[in-house]
Order: sequence, then structure tokens, then C-alpha cells
Amino acid sequence: MPALTTNAVGSYPKPDYLAQARTQFSQGKIDRAELDKLERKATEYWIRSQEQIGLDVLVHGEMERGDMVAYFAGEPGGNPIGGMKLGGLVRSYGNRYYHKPIIVDRLTWPGPMTVEMWRYAQSLTDRPVKGMLTGAYTMVEWSFDDYYPSRRDAVLDMAPIIRREVEELVKAGAKYIQIDEPAIHTRPNEDFDLAVEAMHLTVDGIDAEFHTHICYGEVEKIYPDMLRLPVKQIHLAFMNTDFEYLKLIEQTPFDSGKDLGVGVTDIHTRFIEKVEDVKDGIRRTLKLFPPERLWIYPDCGLKTRTTDEAEAKLQVMVDAVRDIKRELEIE
Amino acid sequence: MQTTVVGNYPKIPNRPRPARLRQAINRRDRGEITSEELARIEDEVTVEVIGEQVEAGLDIITDGQVRWDDDQTYVTRRLGGVEIGSLERYLDTNTYYRRPEVTGPVSWREPILVRDYRFAAENSAKPVKAIITGPYTLAALSLDNHYGSREKLALALAEELRNEVQALAEAGAPIIQVNDPVIVFNKDDIEIFSRALTRMLNGVQVETAVYTWFGSAAQILPALLDLPVATIGLDFVSGRDNWEAVKSVRFDKKLGAGIVDGRNTRIESLEQIEESIRRLSESVPPADIYVNPSCGLEYLPRETAFEKLKRMVEGARRAQPVAA
Repeated sequence: MPALTTNAVGSYPKPDYLAQARTQFSQGKIDRAELDKLERKATEYWIRSQEQIGLDVLVHGEMERGDMVAYFAGEPGGNPIGGMKLGGLVRSYGNRYYHKPIIVDRLTWPGPMTVEMWRYAQSLTDRPVKGMLTGAYTMVEWSFDDYYPSRRDAVLDMAPIIRREVEELVKAGAKYIQIDEPAIHTRPNEDFDLAVEAMHLTVDGIDAEFHTHICYGEVEKIYPDMLRLPVKQIHLAFMNTDFEYLKLIEQTPFDSGKDLGVGVTDIHTRFIEKVEDVKDGIRRTLKLFPPERLWIYPDCGLKTRTTDEAEAKLQVMVDAVRDIKRELEIE
Repeated sequence: MQTTVVGNYPKIPNRPRPARLRQAINRRDRGEITSEELARIEDEVTVEVIGEQVEAGLDIITDGQVRWDDDQTYVTRRLGGVEIGSLERYLDTNTYYRRPEVTGPVSWREPILVRDYRFAAENSAKPVKAIITGPYTLAALSLDNHYGSREKLALALAEELRNEVQALAEAGAPIIQVNDPVIVFNKDDIEIFSRALTRMLNGVQVETAVYTWFGSAAQILPALLDLPVATIGLDFVSGRDNWEAVKSVRFDKKLGAGIVDGRNTRIESLEQIEESIRRLSESVPPADIYVNPSCGLEYLPRETAFEKLKRMVEGARRAQPVAA
């Protein structure tokens, strides 16, 4: 991929018609085929939108997924991992509740869970579409567990399931696969080795380029440990912390064999960053990395923003990269 | 030995029971009902939640903190000098709270929790303890734009919240419990923590407790035992080191024994509960043990929380030494 490749983290906002259709489907008012049609329509929208904005590598936008863990555990329309189900309502925050997954039995791979949608998205474009999965550690950490004697046992049984899905995506033609581990800094002392072990079990020996996204949170607690993750690229949310993570990298250099994914627009604000501010962040990062080792992203998935906000943020990012490339005379 | 809870209880039940509070908040947000009508539903749900705790067989209950959006904002929103800010991840969970932003000197202006305590006490067949979030945790989870140091902010919060503690004591709360979990994540701050809690509670003429969760208090347990409180609450589920820690000190306070997992749906066996209590009884006289979950139950499905409490009560009964 070219220097300063632009890409996105995973999710985009769902159009109203799809949000309504998901509710109707879960109430039995429309059938799977109807929901499928609308998911594809929304996916096509986002593929075209990303092309128009000018991203180099695309994501399919996760129109079929509600929550990044619950999708794999029994959300309506999904193909749930064996041994997982959705439990009762649990509060997320404010007045928002969700059906938190529960591991109730031995985990098994249920057949392809994400391949069909990936294949559809890739069929729409010549640009590469990333395969998007949730990592084994986060899958377990964000679920209840009624079955396994320890978190370790559950994670080690989850990893081969995610691996199997990776293999299916690679078989279908995916070159880039992102395995999100937003929960990885939950218990850095207790569990980080386990998360690394799980990533090895998930990706080792498979011929694809692996990325991971680590959400904002106490990133300083897992740096430089995170460099042990066996992936080609680690993506971090830089804009939300005003590029503070650069200080960590100044103190302890980033692994020279890895690329850095740089989040340059904050997904938690409705405010649209100025191109100059995004360029400033990229320039600061370029003091520590050659451009070939940087990919440029938003901080996180954009699904909580409106479509207009999400597209505006992507456009600012792409415009900033175009300017910087011109300055550096990269083509 | 008595059974109790650490604080919050799930706000809404699952089908077929109606999610009344959730619906009421949505309706208030849409302007279909007034804030007064919502407050009445909050009261009704509080009565329901009190009823469930009593039915589960607990000896001491809370009001379930049904009205609390989170531990930080409910206590700070009525203080002067604090505004409610952005959504932030709560400790090591996948849940969020709104971060208080300290914009000027914090000041206690009016009772925050007294009306809730009185309402719960009037509607409960069992004693109700009052819960308040601790000054250290509030300071650590706030954005400070005024004091310039966590210590100054924690001490200022302690000084002001002391008024609330006194108001609760005057209202007749038999136990006032300070939930102050964040210290287990920042053990180096134990001196700030101790000074703040002492300032808040010293000389208060009612039984007091300080509870921690989500980790071990092993290295700071001696300092906790020096605090002017009757009870220390520890999480024995996620803080595995706490088992050894209570054996290695002279535990001369009451113990809030968090032995039932407040974060997982798996229901503990009676044997497991009995065994946990027996182990702790080697370090603390059974009469000085409060048996409770490891943390608030809010992030479990409501029905699971109820089942867990019932099981905990039964396990505690079985572990109770037979009266001579």
C-alpha cells in the first residue's frame, strides 16, 4: 500500500431505514431476505461514499452488526458462535441497555459468520476491503461466562474460532484483516500475556496482513507491551488524546517491523476537525515514523455519529493526507 | 453475620415484566411526561427494588440507587463548582459514566441523598443503609479544572461531603457506607485517600463503612484498618489477593465480604458460598462479617441479580454457626 494509506476503523452509522428494519426483523415483521436486502443497500452506500471521499482501503461498515461482540453471540440476523447466547438486558450507560452475551457451553465455530458480507462489499469495489473481526480476548471480556472455569480457558477456546473465521476470510480473498481488541487494556497486569497468546493462536502462520485496533483507554499501561502482539499494524486513537501517545513512542521506540495506524479524528465529538489540525497531528507523527509506516484513520468506528458527521470527518482526514503527501512529494 | 449488598441494583427487569423506568425516561426525554411524573415512577421502581432485596432475604438493603445515573454524577451534580461532562469508560468495564468537571471551589449547598434515604426507610421492612461515593474516587474520576492537584480536590470534596454524611446521620441512617473503589487501582495514593476519608467521617456518630471493588486491597489493607470506619468492604472475586491479605493482618474491624460475583451471571453454589464464609471466619469473627456481592449488581440482568442474592442468603444461613 502507498505511504499514508487512508482507511477506517470499522463501523459507520446505520441509515434510519436499516435501524427500523432491524427492529422489525427482531419482532418478526419482516423476513431475513428483506433485512438482507437493506443491509446490502446500506453497505453499498458506504462503499460508494468511501470511494468518493477517496479512502485507499475500505471497510464494509458493519451494517449487519449491532454490537461488535453481541453480533457473534446471537444478534438477530447473525450466525452465533456455538455456546454463546444473548442474555437479559444490561445497562450500558444512561438509558441505554443491551443484551449482553453469555457463554453457556463449550464454544464452537458455527460456520462462516462474516464472509458473505465481506464478499459482497468487495464485489462492489476494486479497492481492498478489510475483513473485520473481534479478538478472542475482547469477545470473552465483554461477555458473561457461565461455563468455563476461568477467563483463560474461555479465551483459549475462543481464539481457534476467530482463527477459523480468519481462514475463511482469507480463502474468500481478504488481504487485510483487522482483529479488534478494544478490551485489551482491561487488566494489563493480570491478562496481557493471555491476550497476546490468543492473538498468536488467531493469526500465526496465516497469509494475510493483520491489524489490530486498540480503543482509547489506558494505553500507557500496555505500551510498549502491545508491541508483542503478532500483527503488522496497531491502530490507536491519537486525536482523542491530542497525540499524547507520541510521548510514549518518543520514550520507547515503536517496533520497527510494525506499522502504526494513526487515529486523526475524534469520533466522540460532533465537531468536525480542521484540516490544518489533522495535518499538524500527522506531521508530529511523521517526526517519529517514515510515511510508509503510517496508515491514517479516524480514532475509532464512526457508528455513533450521523452520516453527515462521519463523512465530513473522513473527508477532512483524506484532504489532510492529500496535502501532506504533496508537501512530502509522495505519489 | 448479616447479609447485604454493595450498592446498586438493576434498574429494569426483563420480559414479560415491563421496563417501566426505561420507558419513563424515554417519555420524559420526548416531553411526554414531566420530571415530576418521572420522579414518581422512580419512587415506584425503588419500592419494587426494595421489595426484591427484602424478598431475597437480605438483612440490610439499599434503595438500589435506581435514581443514580452513575456513582459520580448523582453525588456531585448538586454540589457547587461541578458540572457534568463527557461520557467516559468506567474503570475496567464496558460501561460508561459522565465525568464531573470541577470548574470552581466545590461546595455542599443542600442535602443530596437524604430524601432518598427517608423514602427508602419508610418503604422497607429491613434496615436501609445510605450509600455515598467517596471523595477519593470522585476526585480521581473527575476532570479538575480548578484545584490543580488530586489531593486538594479530594480533601475539598471530603470537607463538603461531610455535611451530607451528617445530614444522613441526622435523618436516622443506621449505617453510612462510602463506596470508594478507585483506590485499589491507584494504591500509591493511599495517603490522600486516608486523609480524605478521615476528614469526611471522623467523629461521625453512626456506623460507617468504606467499600472497594474490582481489585485487591492487599498492600493497603493496614492503612484501611486505621481508618475511622467500622467496616472495610473488599472484593474477594476479582481481588484474589484479598484472601491472603485478611489472614496476614489483625483484622479488627467488620468485614464487608464480597464473595459473590457481581459482574458475572454464573450463580455460585451453596457449597462455594459456605466455604468462602468459613475461610474468612478464620480471620474475622463471624459476627463481624457482612456477606455481600463483590460490587453493585446493576450490570447483571435483574433476574440474575435476584437469584444471586437469594443463593447468597441461603449460603450464609448454612454457614451460620449454630447458636449454642
